Amino acid sequence: MTTNSLAFRLFATAAAWNLLVLPIAGAIIYSLYRQEVETSFDRRLGVLLTVVLSDTVDHGDSEPGAPKDVGEPLFEVTHSGWYWQIKPLDDKPGHLLISRSLTGFTIPLPSEHDVEPNEREVRWANLDGPLDQKLRVAETIYVFGEGKKAQRYSVAVAGTLGEVETSLHNFRNRLTLALALAGIGLLAVTLFQIRFGLLPLAKMEKGLAAVRSGEATRLDVHLPEEVQPLQQELNALLKSNQDIVERARTHVGNLAHALKTPLAVINNEAREDPSPLARKVAEQSQIMADQVNLYLDRARMAARIGVIGRVTEVRPVGESIIRALERIYRDKQLSFLLNCQPGARFQGERQDLEEMLGNLLDNASKWARSSVILAAAAVPGAGNGSGNWLEIRVDDDGPGLTAEQLADPIRRGRRLDETKPGSGLGHSIVADLAHSYSGKLELARSEHGGLSARLTLPSAT
Amino acid sequence: MRALVVEDDRDLNRQLVSALTDAGFAVDSAFDGEEGYFLGETEPYDVVILDTGLPKMDGISVLEQWRRAERKMPVIILTARDRWSDKVTGMDAGADDYVAKPFHMEELLARIRAQVRRASGHAKSDLECGPLRLDTKTARVTLRGQPIKLTSHEYRLLAYLMHHNERVVSRTELVEHLYEQDFDRDSNTIEVFIGRLRKKIPPDMIKTIRGLGYRLSQEGDDN
Repeated sequence: MTTNSLAFRLFATAAAWNLLVLPIAGAIIYSLYRQEVETSFDRRLGVLLTVVLSDTVDHGDSEPGAPKDVGEPLFEVTHSGWYWQIKPLDDKPGHLLISRSLTGFTIPLPSEHDVEPNEREVRWANLDGPLDQKLRVAETIYVFGEGKKAQRYSVAVAGTLGEVETSLHNFRNRLTLALALAGIGLLAVTLFQIRFGLLPLAKMEKGLAAVRSGEATRLDVHLPEEVQPLQQELNALLKSNQDIVERARTHVGNLAHALKTPLAVINNEAREDPSPLARKVAEQSQIMADQVNLYLDRARMAARIGVIGRVTEVRPVGESIIRALERIYRDKQLSFLLNCQPGARFQGERQDLEEMLGNLLDNASKWARSSVILAAAAVPGAGNGSGNWLEIRVDDDGPGLTAEQLADPIRRGRRLDETKPGSGLGHSIVADLAHSYSGKLELARSEHGGLSARLTLPSAT
Repeated sequence: MRALVVEDDRDLNRQLVSALTDAGFAVDSAFDGEEGYFLGETEPYDVVILDTGLPKMDGISVLEQWRRAERKMPVIILTARDRWSDKVTGMDAGADDYVAKPFHMEELLARIRAQVRRASGHAKSDLECGPLRLDTKTARVTLRGQPIKLTSHEYRLLAYLMHHNERVVSRTELVEHLYEQDFDRDSNTIEVFIGRLRKKIPPDMIKTIRGLGYRLSQEGDDN
């Protein structure tokens, strides 16, 4: 997953959202829980304060008595953190009563720290108790006796906050773990969701690759509803591309027809006339004819550039050209041998393969004494660059070319031999066409005695 | 020999007719596919030069229809569309040869002569019959190595007989293959030219087979 990808964008957004939301949610949950725990703790202290007060009042109204049955065993355990205390105020003599758990100590009082009572006359405060205990203290003031004997007493109950803190600490740990697990789970689900959700894009990529390699002419994969309009547009684009090429081909053909007939007329007329002007016209019209052919070939090739690839079976093309050549050269009674590997396929236009094979086979037929051999096979690692390649060989048993001619590069417009009409020019057309497919044409001496033309082209196998 | 030129370009049609006439052919011409098809269907041509891009009916359709109707005369396709896919289509439709425009008239004539020879079963461009020798390339006739002078009508007649030597050729066949479509078939031109030819070659070489026609054979020289 690279940073410049849809998957990364979706994943990063989901991850950022998780990182933001989960801690906030954790903080809110923790705060609510803390509030609940503290309220519940205060409620418990409040109840204990009421019980202690009512129990101490039960001993008579003149002075406090030690509460007997508060119902909290922790008041009996020494330094348990849970204490009660009844203390005379205003520095007057009186009984100081403490729970057994508070042996040897007293608890600090909110009233001594100027804490104001609430509407129920109870003061609440968090204060430091004996043995460095953090205590939550609830205190109320009660007056025992009447008249001159009236005496204010502080009745207080304290509980250790350590209990609350431990509970909150445990909760916080569990909450963090749970949220972290939820976060990881969410990210995993997001990752799966992205992979699953983007699966049609991978399918589309495969489909388009098939179109480009020529295995398909349109995008024919089953895609989800949301992507179907894109698929339809792509198919329409492919169709329009093919139509444009077809139209360009037709126009090129029409142009050829339109130019070549007048050229034929001029040429024939000029050749009939022995005057110097006519000779010049004949010469120039021949140059024009060659130029027309050259640029028509170029136009055909240009029309093909950018066309989505097609695949052409080699055997049927070879068969149809051999069928035509058998008729054209029937006087020579040549034997044509087609030795084509099953499934040998050229990654390109049928017309271009026909042009290349037609020119090579025609040339071989012109020179062959008795036989012409066409062989095609896939060759891994041949040609320019990587990929699969196809080698097509056309061999004849004619006189072949001299070492000099073989060493010469195949150039456009130059006839290797001018004794037979139209010969030689074909090789440069073939070389140009092969080159336009990143392939090549090589000429060598054939083991059958004549010329061996070796064509390397991209293979679709 | 009779030839049909089907070509819609008037100048090219005229040039072809002129070149073929000079080469000793009796030539008919058509300027569209329908007319061409009709002529090829009804007249016995020895060779047809057929353009592919024709008005009314394209050349390939014309050719296919002739072949379906069992018309077997040699047909040379003449076209500006010179891609191999076009050639294969043309040959598959039943063409015997294919010439791309622009072309050299000499090359086209050589191909036409080759087709005519092939159709009458001769492999070489030189036809021989006893002491007579006809070079189809140069349209020269020699008798025992000495050139003999012939008018174009005499040449046509002798060339047809030499293409079909040792075979009885009827007067009707001669008229059909030596003269254009609008020739007056009742005239005695054939008899006149047979008579003239007999004066230039050993007279017994052309035998009259009563009620059937004429036969060119080398036997005559021996007798």
